[in-house]
Amino acid sequence: MRQIYYLIRKEFKQIFRTREMVAIIFGMPMIQMIILGFTITNEVKNVHLIIGDRDNSRISREIVRSFKNTDRFTVIAYETDINRISENIQEWNAQMALVIPLHFGRDLERHQTPEIQILMDGLDGNTAGVALGYAQAIMQRIARTLQVPEPVIASSSVVVEERMWYNMNLDNAQYMIPGIVVVLLTIISMMLSAMSLVKEKEIGTLEQLMVSPLKRYQLLFGKIIPFLILTFIELGLVMTFARLIFAINISGSLLLLGFLSFLYLFTTLGLGVFVSAITGTQQEAMFISWFFMVFMLLMSGFFIPIENMPPLLQHITYLNPMRYILAIIRDITQKGAGLRFLLTDAVPMTIYGIIIFFLAVVNFHKRTA
Amino acid sequence: MRKRIVAIARKEFLHIIHDVRSLVIIFAMPVLMLILFGYALNLEIQNINLSVFDFSRTPASRKLVNQFAASKYFSIRYEKGTPSTIDSLFLSKEARAALIIDKNFARDFRNAPTTTVQLLVDAADPNAASFIKNYCNGVIGRFNDTHSTTFPLPFEIKQRIWYNPDMKSAYFFVPGLIALILIMISALLTSITITREKEMGTMEQILVSPVQPNEIIIGKVLPYILLAFLDGMLILLLGIFIFDVPFEGSSLLLILLSIIFLMTALSFGLMISTIVSTQQVAMMLSLSATLLPTVMLSGFIFPINSMPVILQYLSYLVPAKYYITIIRGVMLKGNTLWQLIFPAMFLLILTAVMLRNALHRFNLNLEK
Repeated sequence: MRQIYYLIRKEFKQIFRTREMVAIIFGMPMIQMIILGFTITNEVKNVHLIIGDRDNSRISREIVRSFKNTDRFTVIAYETDINRISENIQEWNAQMALVIPLHFGRDLERHQTPEIQILMDGLDGNTAGVALGYAQAIMQRIARTLQVPEPVIASSSVVVEERMWYNMNLDNAQYMIPGIVVVLLTIISMMLSAMSLVKEKEIGTLEQLMVSPLKRYQLLFGKIIPFLILTFIELGLVMTFARLIFAINISGSLLLLGFLSFLYLFTTLGLGVFVSAITGTQQEAMFISWFFMVFMLLMSGFFIPIENMPPLLQHITYLNPMRYILAIIRDITQKGAGLRFLLTDAVPMTIYGIIIFFLAVVNFHKRTA
Repeated sequence: MRKRIVAIARKEFLHIIHDVRSLVIIFAMPVLMLILFGYALNLEIQNINLSVFDFSRTPASRKLVNQFAASKYFSIRYEKGTPSTIDSLFLSKEARAALIIDKNFARDFRNAPTTTVQLLVDAADPNAASFIKNYCNGVIGRFNDTHSTTFPLPFEIKQRIWYNPDMKSAYFFVPGLIALILIMISALLTSITITREKEMGTMEQILVSPVQPNEIIIGKVLPYILLAFLDGMLILLLGIFIFDVPFEGSSLLLILLSIIFLMTALSFGLMISTIVSTQQVAMMLSLSATLLPTVMLSGFIFPINSMPVILQYLSYLVPAKYYITIIRGVMLKGNTLWQLIFPAMFLLILTAVMLRNALHRFNLNLEK
């Protein structure tokens, strides 16, 4: 026990001796949270628009005004020459152009269905689709005002009253912060622990530790426990930041969150030990754990919701331990889910954790024997 | 001078080759990422599980529900219980949204000007929630249209969509992925090259040799330029062959500008390398400074114009932002150098600043 304690103390001294490390461990979550919390939104705004009004009639001016008055579009130029318009789109100045033909107002009065042209840069298909939808909605509204109002209402129209649960204001930060927690848990427990063990190999101090009276399991625990502690410090830190900056409260049980995170760490610490056993330099350890991390992250539902993936990929995500912890942390923080609802995620995650950790330790013993 | 640079480059090259596993990862990772991202990246949700509480049980209400069932976005499930079970439906993820139709629905629908139905959405994921809300309003809108006099548009809207008429997401994401992969690999690789020598104590040995600091830097970076360049070409070819991304512009121009971008990425890694003292810190720093900002602030997924103004300014510091414009421009729009002169200039400026900084710090370290 005492030996492990000394080893842990040594490890902490090593971590906190590098001032840059401390800065990163405490600064990184803050920056990530701010960037992620504020950027991720699929809302499309300020689409750069060129307006070409060749008609300049009452109705065409009305259309132009409606496009100017919404924050969905930013009118960057008025230009009727089609060549100049296409140049502007090609040179990234504008994403969309609206061209109202000559005699538009006159033709409209004569019921000749004139044609409005929309030119769209379709590179970003998602944005293009949304922007076209906005444009159509604006036109429809204008068309309605042109119509002679019908005196008889044929039947009642259905109105939706929406209620957004768990996240009334559709605040993105609430959804993203749990993701950051998971990323940080994984980086610290997997990448840092792997590199720390390999570092001893690389600079040749592992032999010294091996010939010391330390038992191998003591060595292993002495290396793992500091990162376990560090991960929990980080967890507390992120949760505090989240509360201070984004006013996010954990609606579920903090104890449950801590306990299930602890179970998840078996997986990542196990992977860390495994990577350190098969590699010889920190560079190798870094690349291999980076590889694990990127794939775990991509297939976890952090950036891309799992339901949106093709079925084959959805099945693959069941192999990914990060998928479970992400769902768990999101459910606890946002929905206040109790253990009963988390079992479907917690059970496979724990099983993976135990298997991976066990295999890693056995492997470590074999390699260092 | 040339000879010494070559010698350093050779040493660094051998170091890379020696580490087979890292090398495999450097090439396998982008391929896997490309395939995964190319197929998985789809921001549109389908098959939303919608629980329906129909307390009206009339032809009118069933008609409304059928309108939902007909949409490809929803899969409908009738619930027998009371709306108090919704919480557990959301928690167990059996439903993403719930539609509650009041028992007076049919009566109101006949007599009142408007009839209200309730929609409860699991908004834990706010993006998905707003998609669901929009789909739902679309369905209701169509339902209303079939029951009231419709307004045909008195004019036509003719849409012409350029560069990506089918609005395929791969066209958009593949070039962006190339930028992401290039910057991550190059920055990660170079950030540990100099720190490794520092940590292992071999830096002193190099320093007492007759090699000049500039030669060390150049020699160290050269092999990585080559490596990252090969990596980039590999992804580019895969993107063109697997995902049929068109290539409209000049390949020479793309190669030239890609090399500039690689230099930016490598000087960034180099700068980190000269600042920090251990490989662990170098790795953490280059990982956190490249992965998230590149994904979030470069326009890779999220359009920059839609962001808050402060973040729009911040995005000017993200090199990938310029390269994404360049690569999308050359590949999909057939842009010429003249049309891309601004992003190219910005990249050059960023490179110059970071490289100068790296050299300066490197020299400072030497004097210590």
